Amino acid sequence: MGSRVRGNDDRQVQLAVNIVVLASIYALISCGYVLIYRVSRVLSLAHGELMLLGAYGLYTTASLFSRSPLLAVAMALLLAAVIGLLVYALLMRRMTGESVLAAVLVTIALGILVRGLTVLIWSTQERHPLNLLGWGNASLPIGAARISGVGLAFVVITAALYGGLYIFLRYTHWGIRMRAAGQNPLLAAQRGINLHAVYALAWALATFTGGIAGMLIACDNALDQTMVTIGLKAFPAALVGGLDSLLGALAGSLIVACAEVLLIYYVDPLLSEVVPFAVLIAMLVVRPWGLFGSREELDRV
Amino acid sequence: MHSRIIVAAALAALAQAVAAQDAYVVGVTGAMTGPQAGILAPVVEMAGAYVNHINGRGGINGKQVRLVVADDQGEPSRAAANAKKLVSQDNVVLLLNSSVSSTYAPVVAEAKRAGVPLYYAGAVCPKETYPPADALQFCSTAFGATLDSQAALDFIKRNSKEPVRLGLAGMAIPVSRGEIDYAEGLAKKLGMTPVDKEITPPPTPDYTPFATKLKDANPNWMWAWSPWFAQVRTYEAMRRIGWQGRYITWAHLNAEEELARIKDPDFYVIGTNAFFEDSLPIQAEIRAVAHRGNVKYPVTYLTEGYIVGVVIETALKNAGWPPTPQKVAGAMSKLKVDLKGLRGGPLEWTKDNHFRTRQYYRVWHWDAQKNAVVRVQDWQAIDVARQ
Repeated sequence: MGSRVRGNDDRQVQLAVNIVVLASIYALISCGYVLIYRVSRVLSLAHGELMLLGAYGLYTTASLFSRSPLLAVAMALLLAAVIGLLVYALLMRRMTGESVLAAVLVTIALGILVRGLTVLIWSTQERHPLNLLGWGNASLPIGAARISGVGLAFVVITAALYGGLYIFLRYTHWGIRMRAAGQNPLLAAQRGINLHAVYALAWALATFTGGIAGMLIACDNALDQTMVTIGLKAFPAALVGGLDSLLGALAGSLIVACAEVLLIYYVDPLLSEVVPFAVLIAMLVVRPWGLFGSREELDRV
Repeated sequence: MHSRIIVAAALAALAQAVAAQDAYVVGVTGAMTGPQAGILAPVVEMAGAYVNHINGRGGINGKQVRLVVADDQGEPSRAAANAKKLVSQDNVVLLLNSSVSSTYAPVVAEAKRAGVPLYYAGAVCPKETYPPADALQFCSTAFGATLDSQAALDFIKRNSKEPVRLGLAGMAIPVSRGEIDYAEGLAKKLGMTPVDKEITPPPTPDYTPFATKLKDANPNWMWAWSPWFAQVRTYEAMRRIGWQGRYITWAHLNAEEELARIKDPDFYVIGTNAFFEDSLPIQAEIRAVAHRGNVKYPVTYLTEGYIVGVVIETALKNAGWPPTPQKVAGAMSKLKVDLKGLRGGPLEWTKDNHFRTRQYYRVWHWDAQKNAVVRVQDWQAIDVARQ
């Protein structure tokens, strides 16, 4: 349809920018799936709802501290981490020793509860936390392409977060404890590692990263119940990379985003719905444990 | 102990049945939660507030009205279960559907099986309500398939000095895709050039990939018809990558508030409900009813729900007492409601037309000089019977 007016090089730069932004969104969301699964072997199907809760946290703090946007953001980030801690302390802790399926079902119930609570507290009205913070979402040039301010924030924050997590997991005591608990919880417990503290930390980190993703999506688009569906859209990216690998989540997100953006542009936009799952099916056929996942964890997936 | 519980439950059920027999019972299956709830739940909440307002004034024909609301989350299976319960257990005399179009088929089946009139309230009007209408299906919702595209493209044509290169945006749901396909054909007949048509998924985390394709097709006008979030997020993504054309889209419940947020003179909305900038006396009443009913949405969202309340009141009043679904359907097929300026004319249903006889459209945008939402087209009528 119609003649395309943009030059070939310009178009490719814009498509590359689109891929990087979408991959960052998926990577930031799927990070939460991986952190919880890697440490506790629980698949959290309430991740979209916890993103939603994190975004509503920003909306609330932005309403309360609209004159101090940085304070509002800091409070919202803290709130997201505390919510993760509470979810573990009040709910998931009781699932220790139960079957994996039971724990997954509890996360589904948690999701339903969170969805209901958000409607009761904030109604279904679309919200715009960015306006409350007094910030705009400027359009920034990158060569011949353009990127939104929030889109750029997605890329920078995702890169910083993955870098930070790498350092944390590799070089800090708590990071090493988390890896040990994920690798062999029984042995880790016998060596004196407090498993409940480690699991609580994993939930806090996952809700914190998911909360950031929710806040950024709410700032880029708007805050409403559609966030839950977006949370689930990143799940195939985590599976493609391997559910227990952060590097895998990054690679999976890049592959899914690349396929999605290119098919939207060159084939049919309707394919964007099925692309992540098509990539996932292809991966399950070739390498069921994902690009960087552990083979022995296949039965749990 | 068990026998006491059973007796208590039986008494409670009996009391509910007795109370129901002494009231008009109206059922709603609606997307009160879920992705589409933002534009549907306010309609049901305001209709509920209006029913409370009626009851506060002594009811209809001396009887109270009971509104039974069941959330279907926009899922067909839940809507089917809700409809079944409402017609068979609650014995409703009128069933409302305030949900997405994918719930229609199972709800219609249940309503027809029970012979209960089905009223689309806030949900898009299906073609069965257009002439020649199905005997049991009625609709007062502002937006109407095919008519909206006719009105929007007419506005574009009248406001373009240069040839129109039209971009189209919809969402991957049947009703939106159908409308955008229709608009594409209509644009060609009107001498416009449709340059691209993008259908976005419901929903997606980033609309920029779709916007990139649309922008590269170089439209000077865009027409989008889908749920609000898809319409406006496509527009915002296009602006962020530098598109500078004009964009017209459907004025959903939140349009007045959104125009004031977006503040772009080249972003237009077309709709059939008056905005609150009119400050009509009836809008003061909407505000009062919403306040008494403790409705938590902004008053600018509530016109549609208020109209639903007035339609229910008029239909039940004309059906008399005791009501039956047949009597209510009969009253609805000759219903006429004076909307007192909320729309361009009265809402009128006839035996063959359960949509409305004339559909009136206005267009608004943000005026940067006046720093206000401004009307750029007053009521333009389309004669539905001649379609």
